[in-house]
Amino acid sequence: MRKIIIIKYGELTLKKKNKNFFIKTLKNNIENNLSNIPHETYYDFGRMLIDAKEEYLDEITNRLQKVFGIYEIILGYITDNRDIENIKEEVLNLISKKSFQTFKVSTKRSDKTYEINSMEVNKMVASYILNNIPNIKVDIHKPELDIVIEIRYNEVLFYFDGYKALGGYPVGTLGKGLLMLSGGIDSPVAGFMSIKRGVKLEALYFESPPHTSEAAKEKVIKLARKLAKYNGEVKLHIINFTEIQETILKNIPHEYLITIMRRMMYRISSIVASRIHAEVIINGESIGQVASQTLTSMKCINEAIRLPVIRPLACFDKTEIMDIAHKIGTYQISILPYEDCCTIFVPKHPVINPSISKCLEYEKLIDVNNLVYRAINKHEVIKVNLEEQKYDDIL
Amino acid sequence: MIYLDYSATTPISYDVLDTYNKVSKEFIGNANSLHSLGLKSANLLESATKQIADIFGVNASEIIYTSGATEANNMALIGTALANHKKGKHIIVSKLEHPSIYVICDYLKSIGFEISYVKNDNEGLIDFDDLKKLVRNDTILVSICAVNSELGIRQPLKMIRQIIKKENMGTIIHSDMTQAIGKIPVNFHDVDLASMSAHKIFGPKGIGFLYKSSMIKINPLIYGSGKTNELNPGTPPLPLIASLSKACRLATEELEKKERFITLLNDKIVNTVSKYPNILINKTKYSIPQILNISLMKIQPETFLHALEKKEVYVSTNTACSSGEVSNSVIAVYNDIPRAKHTIRISLSSVTTTDEVNKFLTIFNEVYNSLSELKGEK
Repeated sequence: MRKIIIIKYGELTLKKKNKNFFIKTLKNNIENNLSNIPHETYYDFGRMLIDAKEEYLDEITNRLQKVFGIYEIILGYITDNRDIENIKEEVLNLISKKSFQTFKVSTKRSDKTYEINSMEVNKMVASYILNNIPNIKVDIHKPELDIVIEIRYNEVLFYFDGYKALGGYPVGTLGKGLLMLSGGIDSPVAGFMSIKRGVKLEALYFESPPHTSEAAKEKVIKLARKLAKYNGEVKLHIINFTEIQETILKNIPHEYLITIMRRMMYRISSIVASRIHAEVIINGESIGQVASQTLTSMKCINEAIRLPVIRPLACFDKTEIMDIAHKIGTYQISILPYEDCCTIFVPKHPVINPSISKCLEYEKLIDVNNLVYRAINKHEVIKVNLEEQKYDDIL
Repeated sequence: MIYLDYSATTPISYDVLDTYNKVSKEFIGNANSLHSLGLKSANLLESATKQIADIFGVNASEIIYTSGATEANNMALIGTALANHKKGKHIIVSKLEHPSIYVICDYLKSIGFEISYVKNDNEGLIDFDDLKKLVRNDTILVSICAVNSELGIRQPLKMIRQIIKKENMGTIIHSDMTQAIGKIPVNFHDVDLASMSAHKIFGPKGIGFLYKSSMIKINPLIYGSGKTNELNPGTPPLPLIASLSKACRLATEELEKKERFITLLNDKIVNTVSKYPNILINKTKYSIPQILNISLMKIQPETFLHALEKKEVYVSTNTACSSGEVSNSVIAVYNDIPRAKHTIRISLSSVTTTDEVNKFLTIFNEVYNSLSELKGEK
């Protein structure tokens, strides 16, 4: 008998026809996550098993807690010997070190040809335990120890409780989205929440040198790296926004600066999204948080493009957003004090209820199309992986 | 040369020196600067700090760089006292601390704090009953070193923490871990504050850190600008910090294996030296093998030290920081003043060789005999 990791799938078990695709994607995601740990993965429609040397199991379970599409992670035991006498012996062995007063045995047979039925196995194992451990009893409703025995075609699994994993859908099973990633608190959280629903992310960042610094860009790369833990590699598209921003500042009435700037950002995001075959744009907008995030502003800014914009945080309070940011480790990075594109050139009195007609009128003052395409044609792509910069030669 | 004073300081390891040189040459930016050179330095600073934090199982924001353990001790004791004086003015320390702790306590006393000294038993272990009695509602801080610098006595910090916190949850616990880190496994979670110095673990002189749990608040002693740390503002000394980080990594590798080897060397010296009629071995069952303290009852320890020095053998009379005085630690454990006046400390490290120890014992014998003859007491 040896230890083994058992994975129970999350919501994907509901998707009858696509089940195979979901599970295969999950398996690929897991394999990518565990790429440098020697292990074997087996799966069927109900479970995935990960077999590795005992010394690796802790690290594997740690990493699995960052993989979406897993409902429960269980550290169990496996044996090839399906003989009922052996099953009794192994169970007794496993529980002899645990302290408990009440227990129950739940047997599941995925191999229905196994000669003894589940109820019988329950009875046989339970009475064997009762005969060997004094002062305990069976409680089928609220046992302190729930012993699960799964009889499979070639092996038997034993396990007790597992712990809840992230849930959600395997990343990539529900298409691709382009995340507008600023250096703030909200956008990384919005990214995390979309990844949870199975969306594979690429990210887009607007830089505006010399108004924004190299440090601000570095900060965004660090945020993308945090998301890469869940998403796998994040392709970060970096758009130089300086020309657009300066042109807007020179030509557009100041109360509409932010509105027009956001419309330009939407236009660029929409084109980049189409080029990378992303179905949607995702951002961290939350209703009412700033002037450009009132419903009227959203409507007015959204009017510039046709691609759907998903706003996972639309109805979240700032404190709720901050809680998630803490959990995924982006908060400490987000609060580093660097200027980003949205915080420089903020007008004193931005319009809270902009009108589409005024936007269209003001945009005639600048060469929208040319500005957009010039920015996109210069854009830089960085592949952000989990690996941080290493200083092996120094540290 | 036979250097047996590693607990006073260690020579910098060449690997660490390489780091110092490389960082000095290649990372010229101020980690607080906004430009790319500053960023490059800031990134290295972050990785170096993270490496230290990972080694000791704490968060990077809990590591505060100082010039060494003395500065860290000041920051810990005075910083805690200033931040908590409204809750109370009572501080407890052991009788086995590094002299710097007592000097700081004298200062705190002069500004109105009350200092109690917890007793220890005749093995050097903190007296738990006495500690329990001493902790009061207004006790804001207890400082007990992880390993004593003269006798190498190791304290069970986890137990000490439990006793203190049971009496007063709010009491902050500090431990000077300078003589422990790199010699034995340490657990920062046993304390709220811990001091260390790089030069005791083959790192450069002039750098160390204070671990400060994020759960507690202390006041800064130094005020200035710079975003890296509010308790120690100013330009971070990146070459020193990177060297410290590397020294921590190297020092904490294969601790047990190193300790086993040093135990053999220690045993060898003890077995030989204990046969001399007028030598007492100041070692209890809690002494770590890296530090060996003996009392030469009929010879002035300073004379002995200089006689050894002529043959290029280097040891300490009690500690480098308090030479010339009576050994407080020996008094605390043995309550024997002559014994405390005659101590020398032999300190070993993982780079000490069996050959060095053999030669040392030969020279020790020569010097001991010739000095004893002078006194006519062979």
